[in-house]
Amino acid sequence: MSAKLTDRSQQDFGLSPEVACQVRDLNVTYRVDGRELSALREVSLDIRQGQITAVIGESGSGKSTLALALMNAVSSPGRIASGSVTYRGLGEVTRMRGEELRRVRGKAISMVFQASQNSMNPLTRIGAQLLDLARSHDLPNPRAVLREAGDLASRMSLDADRVLTSYQHQLSGGMRQRVGIIFGLVLKPKILLMDEPTTALDVLSQSSVLEIVRSIQRERQLTTVLITHDMGVVAELADRVVVLYAGRVVEEASTAELLRHPRHPYTRALIQAIPRLTGDLGDAKALEGQPPSLASVPNQGCVFRERCPYRMDVCDTILPSFRFDGDGEHRFACHYEEARRD
Amino acid sequence: MNKLVPRLIRRILGGIVMILAVASFTFFLIHMIPGNPVDAKLAQLEIAGVQPQQAMTEVHAMYGFMPHQPLYVQYVQYIWELLHLNLGKSITYAGVSVTHLLLEAMPWTVITVTSGIIVSFVFGILAGVIIAVYRDRGISNGLTLFSTFLHGIPQLILALLLAYLFTTIWAIFPYGSPYDAAIAPGFTLPFIGSLAWHAVLPVAAYAISSYGGWALTMKSSVISVLGDDFILASELRGLKPRIRIGYIARSAILPLFTTLTLSIGFMFGGSVFIEEIFDYRGLGYMLITATGNLDYPLMAGSFLIITVAVIVANIVADFLYTAIDPRIRV
Amino acid sequence: MSQATAPYLGTVPPEFRRPSLWTISWRAITRKPSRVIGIVIILFFTLMAIFGPMLYPKQLPINPAELYAPPSWAHPLGTDFEGTSVLAEIITGSRYVLSAAALAAVFTIGFGTLAGVVSGYFLGSTDQIIMRVTDFILTIPGFPLLIVLSTIWSFGSPIAMGLVLGLTGWGGLARAVRSQTLSLRERGFIEAARGLGLSNSHIITREILPNISPYIAMNLLLSVTGGIYAEVGLFFLGVIPFQSNNWGVMLNLAFSNGAMYTPQSLLYMVSPMACILLVTFGIVLTLDAFDEILNPRLREG
Repeated sequence: MSAKLTDRSQQDFGLSPEVACQVRDLNVTYRVDGRELSALREVSLDIRQGQITAVIGESGSGKSTLALALMNAVSSPGRIASGSVTYRGLGEVTRMRGEELRRVRGKAISMVFQASQNSMNPLTRIGAQLLDLARSHDLPNPRAVLREAGDLASRMSLDADRVLTSYQHQLSGGMRQRVGIIFGLVLKPKILLMDEPTTALDVLSQSSVLEIVRSIQRERQLTTVLITHDMGVVAELADRVVVLYAGRVVEEASTAELLRHPRHPYTRALIQAIPRLTGDLGDAKALEGQPPSLASVPNQGCVFRERCPYRMDVCDTILPSFRFDGDGEHRFACHYEEARRD
Repeated sequence: MNKLVPRLIRRILGGIVMILAVASFTFFLIHMIPGNPVDAKLAQLEIAGVQPQQAMTEVHAMYGFMPHQPLYVQYVQYIWELLHLNLGKSITYAGVSVTHLLLEAMPWTVITVTSGIIVSFVFGILAGVIIAVYRDRGISNGLTLFSTFLHGIPQLILALLLAYLFTTIWAIFPYGSPYDAAIAPGFTLPFIGSLAWHAVLPVAAYAISSYGGWALTMKSSVISVLGDDFILASELRGLKPRIRIGYIARSAILPLFTTLTLSIGFMFGGSVFIEEIFDYRGLGYMLITATGNLDYPLMAGSFLIITVAVIVANIVADFLYTAIDPRIRV
Repeated sequence: MSQATAPYLGTVPPEFRRPSLWTISWRAITRKPSRVIGIVIILFFTLMAIFGPMLYPKQLPINPAELYAPPSWAHPLGTDFEGTSVLAEIITGSRYVLSAAALAAVFTIGFGTLAGVVSGYFLGSTDQIIMRVTDFILTIPGFPLLIVLSTIWSFGSPIAMGLVLGLTGWGGLARAVRSQTLSLRERGFIEAARGLGLSNSHIITREILPNISPYIAMNLLLSVTGGIYAEVGLFFLGVIPFQSNNWGVMLNLAFSNGAMYTPQSLLYMVSPMACILLVTFGIVLTLDAFDEILNPRLREG
């Protein structure tokens, strides 16, 4: 058994060397009132080894669904309708079931939850829950996990002993959020998924927590996926950015490239919405209109056209395909940009 | 912890007020009984040639107050005697103090009720977890139906059916007394064995009649816990199923402990049918015999004890919950 | 079709505007066969209680030659320890059991709804006092209380029985109705009606009660089962003098006349119990429909 696992951990499953996780043509649907509604449509992306990849989008864009799909944890009434999620050294998670899937979750791929303040068992002390985590993944020395957690806690300027002997309700919201991050890091995962890890925090502790995450990520060369709605966080932290709108990837590039040369009108709107410390608050412009709900996403044409200032006739009927830019590292899907450059 | 003490005091004071209210009720109840049993007793004694003074004392001992005195004096006397745990003297069991009779009756009720409830609690909890975890599967639907069905059978019918079916139709269990009369009572193995064997049906009656309630309550408790963020988180952290079920069960059982204590209290009152049918000389049996024999001191005493059990259970439940839920224990 | 709808105000949120309650109930009941069965059972016993006793003489004949007789055409359920037909006893006994239980339900609902609505509507000290009393009623174990009360008042007639059961059993409903009223209040319901200058009694009878009526109807049915258990229990224990034959009296006589000791009495013992369970079963099956009537979201599904 263990020999087989070791074998597997050396396998690349056809992934190119810089890629840690490959998502191909992923479709996730939710069954609502007898209708199958798409939450993710033909999502393909490569998550690069040792980098922080941010997935940005408004609420309803499907970013949290993507996070769950990356762990094959989309639950009823939703399901992964088609597509694949392949990890280096692990394989295809959407085909995994039961015990095999359980062993991967929390160990090789771990997640920091959006509602991390409530992700701990309220009836058990934090330390005991860390031990439960260690035992669940058959660690030879569960106590070592407590030491590791203590180190992480100190780095996040928490009182390690106090935190480990506390119940959830004895900690403040910000402390719980950090504890949630400790849970995500303590087993030294290969991949860390963070779903809005700092929404519950005030601005100051937000940046300090992000800084710690960044430094740990650098140290461990930890492949990280950061799910967020906040372009400011992306700018501070991410190496690459994937922009998601209504369940579709509309643009992807390195952070620097994307911030400098955004191609998709939606990306531009997101960048304009970043409040800048130096500028007037009035300069930050929020995007007008509402993102479509699951039921109202158009089935043909560009998903963004209803809010797009550059809408053309072709946008109503034909789905824009990806165009590549800057040595193929930057892709976007927009008829207007395409027409402008041709 | 420091918020706890005032609350404890408040709850206990509230309980005392309740008990006083019930005691007042039993006091006035005796005065409202048609034909005034107190005066009747006095007259009866005097006709029998007992000296008036002597007769008064006897009636006082029986009811806890002197007749022919202003009502408030009688009331104060009655409460005063109660505070000394003196509930008067029984009429049916001539001259025996009610307190003594009730103390003797108590174990019969407490032991059967408690064992019945514990059995039903264990099975009910297990069933509830299974129903909730395997929702929409055959086993869950079957168990739900079964539990709802048992939940719907009133205790009287259940006890009668059990007694009739398992002692008369199929003579498996003994019937009619709490132990075999041929075995001398004492702390001996045969006697205890006989007690246990005779207790099977009554305990089963308690257990079956409360099982359905536990199963259905636990089911909804588990379902609500399954929706909690930390349960989803524990799944995504890859916790072992055994550990996850422990998380779920513990969170879901917690609110049920309050109900557990309460139901033990309430079962004291519900014990009437089962004790009558199986001839168990417990508190419910005392209440019903006393009522049937117009033994008012014993009746008032049993009712008071049964009510006090409920009130005490209420208070204990409240504090038990505080003790086992770390969220409240600050 | 819609004449049964209460006259709602223009300010009433649309979710309160329903098609007629009768239409909804009919649709909900006919949706599942089990609910139809429930209604049929209830109707069957109701008809039995109304017309059944007319088929028999007031004093049922006894027959010492036919004690514990097996089922026959003359006695489809056999006979009892006196040779009286068990079926005749069941049928004549149903009237008392069901009428007393129905009255008990009406009284319980009446007291409970009144206390709950008044408490939840007026709040303040009225609410405090009513809730104190409710807590008291809820804490005192109901059945022992009934036994004790039987010594000062032999509430044997159906109306007295119903009244006593109502007086001792309204606590739980009062609490539930209060919280229903509070939830109407939270939805801005009462304030809106007050803003229109409507009187308290108008708001309570025309606005609040219609909105909680399905809930009350559900509890009416539930209270019927509670009423049956309590009265049958009291008669079984023999603390209430027997005025007429009923299922509780049957069980009492069976128990005290040695039917427990002979297997021949099987039908005699089981018949009244089976009837009680059957009525309960019918009510439970019907109650299932109320979930749907109460919960508009389920209705569309």
